[in-house]
Amino acid sequence: MPEILQYVPGTSVFHRLNPLTKILMILVVAVLAVTTSSLSLLTLLVVVLFIAAAVTHLSRPLVQQMPLLISLVISLLLLTVLSMQSGETIGHLVPVAIPLVGGAFPITVGAIEFGLLLSLRFIAMLFAFQLLVITTQPHDLVHALQRLRLPVDYALMFLIALRFIPSLQLEGQRINEAQLARGYNPGTGLRGVVRTLVPIIVPLVSNSLAKANVLGLTIDLRGYRTPRRVSLRDRSLRMRDYSAIALILVASAGFVALPLVHLLN
Amino acid sequence: MIVLEDYTYIYPGRSEPALDGVTLHVRQGEVILVTGPTGAGKTTLCLAASGILRHEFGGTSTGKARLLGRPVEEFRDLSEIGRHVGVVFDDPEAQLIFTTVEEEIASGLEGLDLPRDELNARMEHVLELTATTDLRERAPHTLSGGQKQRVAIAATLALGTEILVLDEPTSELDEEGTRMLFRILQRLRSEGKTVLLVEHKLDALFDLADRMIFLERGRILAEGTPDELLREDRIRSVLHTTPETPSFCRTPKVCLQKPDVPASSPLIRIEGLVHDYSGVTALKGLDLEIEAGSLVAVIGDNGSGKTTLIKHLVGLLKPTQGRVIVGDHDTRAETITCMARHVGLVFQNPDTMLFEETVEREVAFGPTNLGMEDVRGRVEQALAEVGLLAHRDEYPRSLSRGERQRLAIACILAMAPEVIVLDEPTTGLDAAESARIMTLVSRLRDEGRTIVMVTHNMRIVEDYADRIVLLEHGRLVADSQNGGEELICQRFYSTFREPASSIA
Repeated sequence: MPEILQYVPGTSVFHRLNPLTKILMILVVAVLAVTTSSLSLLTLLVVVLFIAAAVTHLSRPLVQQMPLLISLVISLLLLTVLSMQSGETIGHLVPVAIPLVGGAFPITVGAIEFGLLLSLRFIAMLFAFQLLVITTQPHDLVHALQRLRLPVDYALMFLIALRFIPSLQLEGQRINEAQLARGYNPGTGLRGVVRTLVPIIVPLVSNSLAKANVLGLTIDLRGYRTPRRVSLRDRSLRMRDYSAIALILVASAGFVALPLVHLLN
Repeated sequence: MIVLEDYTYIYPGRSEPALDGVTLHVRQGEVILVTGPTGAGKTTLCLAASGILRHEFGGTSTGKARLLGRPVEEFRDLSEIGRHVGVVFDDPEAQLIFTTVEEEIASGLEGLDLPRDELNARMEHVLELTATTDLRERAPHTLSGGQKQRVAIAATLALGTEILVLDEPTSELDEEGTRMLFRILQRLRSEGKTVLLVEHKLDALFDLADRMIFLERGRILAEGTPDELLREDRIRSVLHTTPETPSFCRTPKVCLQKPDVPASSPLIRIEGLVHDYSGVTALKGLDLEIEAGSLVAVIGDNGSGKTTLIKHLVGLLKPTQGRVIVGDHDTRAETITCMARHVGLVFQNPDTMLFEETVEREVAFGPTNLGMEDVRGRVEQALAEVGLLAHRDEYPRSLSRGERQRLAIACILAMAPEVIVLDEPTTGLDAAESARIMTLVSRLRDEGRTIVMVTHNMRIVEDYADRIVLLEHGRLVADSQNGGEELICQRFYSTFREPASSIA
């Protein structure tokens, strides 16, 4: 079972960077992705992130997200094609040859471009976020978020969400097995799927809620909500962090400058 | 350290008190063992004594509760209480918040006002004490139940509080883990810590207790040294004890199989079974034949492959190599839906399957899925068999733990399988309820069904099994039917008995 958004132990450059540096990287990527509307720049951004992951041997978790990304791209494209029309029409979702309904839902260049734009923005941000999460121990991440003055409760919320993804996957699998042993047969068609999900979802949610109480008590009693005074690890920024920050800034300057150069020519 | 005086507590939305006029004085350095049947209020007592009830649950209370000489209501909040009281709850999964074991322990430590060197030293000490050093990089979801329990204990110990509350800390520990806990408790005792310990598995830990308390329906019925209390039959009847000398060890050459079981051809045949989970070989070539109408106990430590083995019987897992044949069905060729007609699997925790609005509908789910006739009749019969007919219209999840376990068995019975497989059917139940479940299981065997049961409880093995097979590291190393009694007894004495004491 692939693990979604889980810390992968390792010693890559990304692992050794300070979480603050990596958070800066996410912010820069997010700002760049949102502000630019150039498809080629966004593609470049995604490629740069992927290469950065590949040279540090972290591309596998990114590749594992491919099925999710592809379905996301397809649905975004479908949505934009259905909801907007601008520019040249290059075809129709319903072929013109079909009588009466033929020619409905024209596919326009503008819609395709906008769909791709949204997809690339999303992929860039997801890649950057993933690089942070898979290379940072959640507990270091909580410290970093606290240093950025995020209230500790929010940091813990974020942490618990990440922590319980694989547990829920496993619990779901266990429940599925228990129901299979009772002859439960996942249905076909949307209605079938929705109806047959009940035997899985109900135990999953009830069992998770039953844990919430103990979880809350544990967090309070172990003092996780009190501000940290001492850290077991040295968390100051190091030389490699400053180099990385410089690199990020230079690269983003490049991204900003590229269209300007283009414009001047 | 802890004082409760005529303390009565009612949970919000309930009318029955969970604690009823309880008076308890705990001195510094005492180890108190809290026992009683399931649902007696043991956990509530611990929560009351540590002031958590007052601060977190609402509800109404009368009487006095004092912690470290102060009324509990004077403590500001739970984190202030947490500086003095460490609590290990009985659900280890919910107590692991971080994604590696190391972080889990470090995070509690960092809240303490101590220099970094001291914190690191404490971390190493706790890892070593709980035998979790090898787990430090592991994520919680990759740990077994017993390992999770050890990590939860480690994270609490790291805080170094003067009072410790342990709520059924051995529920998922194997015998090795229980022994480790015994050593930890010995140490805490010598350090002068005050410990409240809730436990069913008695003989493992009772030597350590200065005092034992027996609770029933929210009242303290008896209080005294463990020796005094264990003389009473009522108290002994709900507590799990390990048999002193099991009969199969006293007369090791006697075949355990009941003589009236016909030596027919085996109903279940497992041949050269190998199972790989991506990279890990859980079963390494296992052969086993089981005759119809026998009750076979599968024993072995955590991670020996017991659960992997039983999942093969119902076809949830398919052999990587070898084959599993039940009746004339090869599990490799059949769907799970087909196998479910012949083999019923009752999972360890009944809450993994309960989802319906009423008990009756819950039981009807299986036979309906299989398209069986006369579902109503089957449901009725199954509920009567497990003694839950009176509860047919109730909400399954509001039943007691023991009732839910019996309901889970009814759900399987309604599908009328020839083989019933039970994974740890008595976990979390007191001895009286375990006996009730096992009486039911024996009756099912007497009616001609074949039972395969995984268990840690040697008393149950001793009292009910026709045959014992021992698994170690994915291999079947001993079978009581094939001259394996000696090895089983050896393991029994070396791993199951050592920490126990002279329980009369």
